[in-house]
Amino acid sequence: MASTSAFVSIAPVLAKLPLCRASSVLRTSVFTPVRAAPSSRHVRAAPSVPQRGAAQRGANRWATTMAGGGANGSSKYDYDLFVIGAGSGGVRASRIAAGHGARVAVAEEAALGGTCVNVGCVPKKLFSYGSHYSHDFADAAKYGWSVPEMPTVDWPTLIANKNAEILRLNGIYGRMLENAGVELKVGAATLTGPHSVEVNGVAHTAETILVAVGGEPFVPTFPGSEHVITSNEAFFLESLPRRVLIAGGGYIAVEFACIFHGYGSQVTQLYRGDLFLRGFDHDVRTHLAGEMTDRGIDVRFNTDVKAVVKNADGSFTTTLKDGSTVETDVVMFATGRKPKTSELGLEAAGVTTGKSGEIPVDDFSQTNVPSIYAVGDVTDRVALTPVAIAEGHCFADTLFDNNPRSPNYEYIPSAVFSQPAIGTCGLTEEQAVAQFGEDDVDVFKSAFRPLKHTLTQRPGERELMKLIVRRSTDVVVGVHVVQSAAGELIQLAGVALKAGVTKKLFDSTIGVHPTSAEELVTLRQSERAKAEAAAAAEAKKATA
Amino acid sequence: MARTEWVKASIWMPPSIRGASIHRTVSNTPSSATDEYPRFLLPWVPLPALPLVSSPPSSTMAPVPKAPTETSYDYDLFVIGAGSGGVRASRIAAGHGARVAVAEEGPLGGTCVNVGCVPKKLFSYGSHYRHDFTDAVKYGWVLSGEPPTVDWGVLVANKNAEIERLNGVYGRMLEKAGVTLLRGTAKFVDPHTVEVDGRRVTAATILIAVGGTPFVPSFPGSEHAITSNEAFYLPSLPRRVLLVGGGYISVEFANVFHGYGSEVTQAYRGELFLRGFDKDVRTHLADQMRERGIDLRFNTDVESVVKNDDGSFTATWKGGGTLTVDLVMYATGRNPMTDKLNVDAAGVKRGKGGCVPVDEWSRTNVDHIYAVGDVTDRMALTPVALGEGHCFADTVYGGRPRSPKYDNIPTAVFSHPAIGTVGMTEAEAVAEYGEDGVDVFKSDFKPLRHTLTGRSGEREFMKLLVRRSDDVVVGVHLVQEAAGEMIQLAGVALKAGATKAVFDSTIGVHPTSAEELVTLRTSERAKAAAAAKEAKA
Ligand SMILES: Cc1cc2nc3c(=O)[nH]c(=O)nc-3n(C[C@H](O)[C@H](O)[C@H](O)COP(=O)(O)OP(=O)(O)OC[C@H]3O[C@@H](n4cnc5c(N)ncnc54)[C@H](O)[C@@H]3O)c2cc1C
Ligand SMILES: Cc1cc2nc3c(=O)[nH]c(=O)nc-3n(C[C@H](O)[C@H](O)[C@H](O)COP(=O)(O)OP(=O)(O)OC[C@H]3O[C@@H](n4cnc5c(N)ncnc54)[C@H](O)[C@@H]3O)c2cc1C
Repeated sequence: MASTSAFVSIAPVLAKLPLCRASSVLRTSVFTPVRAAPSSRHVRAAPSVPQRGAAQRGANRWATTMAGGGANGSSKYDYDLFVIGAGSGGVRASRIAAGHGARVAVAEEAALGGTCVNVGCVPKKLFSYGSHYSHDFADAAKYGWSVPEMPTVDWPTLIANKNAEILRLNGIYGRMLENAGVELKVGAATLTGPHSVEVNGVAHTAETILVAVGGEPFVPTFPGSEHVITSNEAFFLESLPRRVLIAGGGYIAVEFACIFHGYGSQVTQLYRGDLFLRGFDHDVRTHLAGEMTDRGIDVRFNTDVKAVVKNADGSFTTTLKDGSTVETDVVMFATGRKPKTSELGLEAAGVTTGKSGEIPVDDFSQTNVPSIYAVGDVTDRVALTPVAIAEGHCFADTLFDNNPRSPNYEYIPSAVFSQPAIGTCGLTEEQAVAQFGEDDVDVFKSAFRPLKHTLTQRPGERELMKLIVRRSTDVVVGVHVVQSAAGELIQLAGVALKAGVTKKLFDSTIGVHPTSAEELVTLRQSERAKAEAAAAAEAKKATA
Repeated sequence: MARTEWVKASIWMPPSIRGASIHRTVSNTPSSATDEYPRFLLPWVPLPALPLVSSPPSSTMAPVPKAPTETSYDYDLFVIGAGSGGVRASRIAAGHGARVAVAEEGPLGGTCVNVGCVPKKLFSYGSHYRHDFTDAVKYGWVLSGEPPTVDWGVLVANKNAEIERLNGVYGRMLEKAGVTLLRGTAKFVDPHTVEVDGRRVTAATILIAVGGTPFVPSFPGSEHAITSNEAFYLPSLPRRVLLVGGGYISVEFANVFHGYGSEVTQAYRGELFLRGFDKDVRTHLADQMRERGIDLRFNTDVESVVKNDDGSFTATWKGGGTLTVDLVMYATGRNPMTDKLNVDAAGVKRGKGGCVPVDEWSRTNVDHIYAVGDVTDRMALTPVALGEGHCFADTVYGGRPRSPKYDNIPTAVFSHPAIGTVGMTEAEAVAEYGEDGVDVFKSDFKPLRHTLTGRSGEREFMKLLVRRSDDVVVGVHLVQEAAGEMIQLAGVALKAGATKAVFDSTIGVHPTSAEELVTLRTSERAKAAAAAKEAKA
């Protein structure tokens, strides 16, 4: 496999960087220290009046942990908390714990901010923004603009600007830790016992250890697998490949297929299953597959890579299971991620791992070793940044603020930044039917060409809005959208679902005209009612 | 042929621009919809009256209206105006079995489809590309050669083609519902009789859905000013534009023209534009528009406008000073279109500005005459007009009495960035619950996209207003590119009675702007308290 040096190379730069001045441009609230999360109001009484058993356990745990003498500095350990990994979960946990008065150190072997900031959400979203402009140039013509020459792409400019922004974010993270009084240890940490870690040959002890090491891309082994890149390298390519093969059916594969295609590459996406984006609502999956195909992405299902060979001209020929071949300039695998636990020394500390190396934890993110906790991707719960952040925050509040809380995994909204994007929250139709039975689920949906593209008529821009309603209660249990602003939209849908919104309340909401979202409040006829009406019409025709 | 008629019929063609230029902009590519359009203009043939079974309105307080039993009329329902409210009411009433006719003097679909929401949003989309061209460069795109130029005629022609398609869709919709369309201007003859271009028609129930029309104050040279109606049919993009007015239409057009490359000055006589919106939102947007290069002048009004020899116009300010531009556009409010309706003949009372006041069932002072939409001066928005029309039809003809609800109506302003707003403003909330009864949470930031572009005028803003007594979120205010889409769902959340705790318990969607709304941890009160503590220490 090609090296990940590009990713790691930010680290030395960062290490030397005098954690430069914060410019005020960054959205602050994501990063500002949070003393008391408002939701804690409701749980604050928990230690004495437990809401649930788990909360009580958390409280007890806190009591025993702190009884060791932690926060006041008289501990026999070097630190109250040692965090391994300064990614989404680790940074949040460190910062909040320090804010609660704990003495905290965090070890990071690569760049601050972890996957999300360096090789995940942030650069991915920037690429996604950038890849959209090719469509804008074309669309603009229908809106009266003439672009003299079709714009070309200078890929190194994109990479350089992206890197500059990420360095800025690395700096912000560094200052944030510094301001919180968290000690940063640059290097790879290994566990040597329930209370000890080693970084660069130096041993440290801590009352509590938090493992927040995240994950890394997984590529199966096959002839030529050393030629393929993963998302890590995709962020540092030296030039825009003319042709790209992407293997995988997850959201990262889908997003990169759209990114490369938007920037002008010829893209083939392969997935060995029947349909990509397993776990998403089936209608959403077929809708997006249709739109991507309409845009000109060669999406192929039920196929897989057998071998990759490098050609003399630097290109790659990939042989598929059916014997056919595809020649491209880059072969990218986005076939899943695995927890980064193989060299962590977990056995030394007695921490058990699951079958893919993940660390199983309880509601309070505690592992089988009482002094060792784990949050984020490494725990294989929901691999998303805001979830890792919530887990880290809950952990810190529970242990260092006498405020036992655990993350709630119900109705987590999430987005796929494909084109158009996906927003999803709650149950898929399939899950709802499995859970409540076919008779207890109503489905409302609408697929349409949005107003903007009535003028452009560009293919691949149809949108989809879908609501899943539990009939017996009228509660909306799922919202699924395919829409250019789906990420923004689904965030608020998430709030509505958390509030227990019913279909009736959706219907009683006045539309915002002209938007795509107004479809969601004007979905009057369920799929069941449509089918019944069609059947009745059919019957009428038959008798006539 | 139909197309020519469409243009002629349009009440929106001002004398100043009527003629060749308009015809030029009409698309020559017939869409399937326009092909079918003439079929819809078949001669009007009144149908024999059929009885409609239902009981007469009761005489109790706030009675639920029902369709009258009197049936010696040409129609059960006669609707004046085939705009948002009128079309919806006609279609639903017909669906409930009523015999319905609708009169329309202009193109079908009314203001929204022809000279409102739809073309406005298209212009707004189009005006964003100039920024996209510059932003794209930071994302690695190389635009060589001359900077992109604008062919305004292409925009207007494509817009017109789309709107003709919609006109056709509306026509077919009415036709399919069995609604008779009468082309022409309707006016009352007596309480049950309406005249349309000399033809008299009687109906048991009459619905006034005539909408509104732009209002321009008179001043020396006011004849040179255009309104939003004409702005949709300009023959070319003006190099310099003066917009007068501080409402959302004025703001949207300032952004449209500026985005397409005009030099824009927006003048408003008050302190700050967008009266009625949250103050923070108003100042935030004003700042962004200024950063983008729009010349906003508040506390400024026009005294006179003169036309110059070169076709340009020079406006003189009330306080002195002048500005020369190529277009003067007034967006200074709208008036109900009741002047030529002769409502006196029906005994219908008019209110302030000529509006038709109605009760919760949209009934006027005359029992069998109703009014919906802009003409009633409740809330001038298309979905509201639709809701009112729908409720009216369900109540009177569907045996399902419903009246529209006006709480927590989400709305958007399609500026750049856009505004989304639902519920109370901070000022309203404080007036209602007292200063101590309201918590304010807000955040002002540069969105991720523009960390790369560095372009100014793109800061976003999110604000939540929380009633402290029960933690309920009573207002959401946004300035964000996709604010229209977002605020729709915020509206649903507010309808569901979402509390701040519910917002906080919602996991963020990363990376988005909306995640700010679920991570607003410190209220302004708490920030102030912390600052005060710090100052003391
Ligand atoms: C391409 C891509 C796109 C994504 N897009 C999104 C998105 O749009 N939205 C979203 O919510 N999520 C997205 N994710 C997922 C998101 O990035 C992760 O869920 C999140 O970063 C997990 O945070 P974490 O704290 O568990 O781990 P990470 O953020 O991965 O942090 C782990 C850190 O630990 C360090 N580390 C590991 N081992 C050691 C060691 N032994 N010693 C010292 N340091 C160590 C690593 O260098 C790393 O910095 C994306 C992921 C990828 C790969
Ligand atoms: C520039 C602009 C932008 C707007 N943007 C938005 C927006 O983004 N979102 C939104 O929700 N709302 C918007 N609106 C408001 C929206 O257009 C109106 O609220 C809506 O159209 C009102 O519907 P209505 O049925 O009351 O009247 P209208 O849609 O105005 O329909 C009235 C119809 O009656 C006809 N008529 C009038 N008098 C007679 C007569 N005597 N005989 C026969 N026919 C007659 C007219 O020709 C017209 O077709 C906008 C308005 C404008 C001007």
